[in-house]
Amino acid sequence: MMDQRWRPTVNEREFIEQALQSDLRVDGRRPFDFRKLKIAFGREDGSAEVELGETRVMGYVTAQLVQPYKDRPNEGTLAIFTEFSPMADPAFEPGRPGEAAIELGRVIDRGLRESRAVDMESLCVVAGKHVWSVRVDLHILDNGGNLIDAANIAALAALCTFRRPECTVGGDDGQQVTVHDPEVRDPLPLAIHHLPIAVTFAYFGDGNIMVLDPTYKEEAVMGGRMTATINSNGDVCSIQKAGGEGVMSSVIMQCLRIASVKAADITSKIKSKVDEYTTEKAVRKVKRTPVLVAKKNDVPDVTMESNDGALESQTSKTPNDAQGISKDPPAIPNDKRHEDAKSRLSESNLDVESMPNSGIAGESDEAKESVSPKSLKDAVKPKHKRKKKQHGKS
Amino acid sequence: MESKKPLRSAFVDDYVVPGDVILDLADMTNQTIKLGAGLRQDCDTIQVTSAGRLRLSKPNKYWVENSQKRYIPSVEDTVLGIVVDTKPDNFLVDIKGPSVAFLPVLSFEGGTRRNIPKFEIGTLIYARVVKANSIMNPELSCMDAIGKAAEFGQLKNGYTFETSTGLARMLLSSPTCPLLEALGKKLSFEIAVGLNGRVWVNAPSPSNIILVSEAIKQSESFNRIQQRSMVEKLLAKLA
Repeated sequence: MMDQRWRPTVNEREFIEQALQSDLRVDGRRPFDFRKLKIAFGREDGSAEVELGETRVMGYVTAQLVQPYKDRPNEGTLAIFTEFSPMADPAFEPGRPGEAAIELGRVIDRGLRESRAVDMESLCVVAGKHVWSVRVDLHILDNGGNLIDAANIAALAALCTFRRPECTVGGDDGQQVTVHDPEVRDPLPLAIHHLPIAVTFAYFGDGNIMVLDPTYKEEAVMGGRMTATINSNGDVCSIQKAGGEGVMSSVIMQCLRIASVKAADITSKIKSKVDEYTTEKAVRKVKRTPVLVAKKNDVPDVTMESNDGALESQTSKTPNDAQGISKDPPAIPNDKRHEDAKSRLSESNLDVESMPNSGIAGESDEAKESVSPKSLKDAVKPKHKRKKKQHGKS
Repeated sequence: MESKKPLRSAFVDDYVVPGDVILDLADMTNQTIKLGAGLRQDCDTIQVTSAGRLRLSKPNKYWVENSQKRYIPSVEDTVLGIVVDTKPDNFLVDIKGPSVAFLPVLSFEGGTRRNIPKFEIGTLIYARVVKANSIMNPELSCMDAIGKAAEFGQLKNGYTFETSTGLARMLLSSPTCPLLEALGKKLSFEIAVGLNGRVWVNAPSPSNIILVSEAIKQSESFNRIQQRSMVEKLLAKLA
């Protein structure tokens, strides 16, 4: 299937180099701009899909208990596996990983292991007998150029959201390990000290023109490539320059300086996406207990509706009606009232989140009663606005 | 004289998928219908074999307009090919089809054994498909039917990129598509579009080339109005 591979034309080759002389890249980027980065997480912990422009990589983290290596009895292990799927590029052959796949795996592995980004000692359960072995699988879904950077981000995002089951050591001899079900005890995150970000440069011309984040076409035409793995503190975790054109040491130093700036930027993006995901997961957990939430809603509803006759169907201090709200929302005849109830529920949900420690319902009820004279006026106005809007819609 | 009106397919200008029956021939007598790409006759019915829009050209020609990344060679198409190898008799040219195409070394205007052009690997050629069927490798020619060069041959400088076949047909539609018209009013460039989904753009300055290429790539699914507004926005940004 050699004829199915994409080849650059003479025109493309010459044009890419010519355009770079005037600092123009064929996709309209400047020489040191990254492509648009999108990070999405899967349903399970430890699954991340990264899109860097057209390049798509999926990272998936799993862990299991194994015996540690003899020379490191109290450290866990970390292994990176890469799969270059033929659907990503017609040049990828199924079966054994080729040179590029092995190089990619090695660069990411070195970046994580040598810099001790993931704490291995915290993965030890029983020294010498049981440790957690963390396995990162990277699947290349679409090769749009610069696989190393995208795969690295996917590995980091997956490691940040991965949760391993909690396990306790017990039993008669203190050697029995019980791995707890995630439903019983919340699984734990990995201890990650810092995020090593891989930044790849491509060289053109005589090694004096360099660009960041090469696309597929630029990679086919480039003279050489260098990957620098740096974290946001400016520590260089690894440098990879495998063959290609020779470059001056001053150029390398400049690349490292640019890379550290970009690494800080990408680190903040990864962290914000991971935080978004973890808070969304936590919120989903809170909403699993609707009864408690409805009870807290009860008090402000009552004080508001005593002034508004139209909504008396929902007014009640009795817990029965509170249960009614949570159990039978469709029982409310008027659609508008139903919408009001839902929006009020969501409003009070926000209250619930801001007061996570008020687990005792009585206390919070009292707190709300004392606040309610103020909140009454505040609550009434928005409610009227809502009603007007609904009238306007209907 | 049968009236042809009731026999017009109900699906004209609609999206159809393989397996749809667009016409039942049982109620037709003594009429000819011409079937173009993407349609097949199955006993008494006309069935769709490729997904796309059904078109009718009066009085009786039906075809399905589809858009794919791959190209299926068909005779008389003008395509942009990349030379991948040279043999004594043919150049092997990649035209994004299932198999590599042959371009005979003598299929150039005034071509003889003494003045065979020298194409290195990676040369871009604008050629015409002369033979195409599912069994053999397609054959190309750099001459028109009479024997003149007529713009065929090697394309030098500029930039190439790939598109879907649907976008290539849209760029070649007449009257000129609004995208190229709007770009042509402000920028000067030359363009060659291959029906196999390859486009070549050349202009005096690299920034113009990049601009035109990006504008074309972005307009994959735009209709006429969207194309025009996109180009206006793009040119306004530059000004």
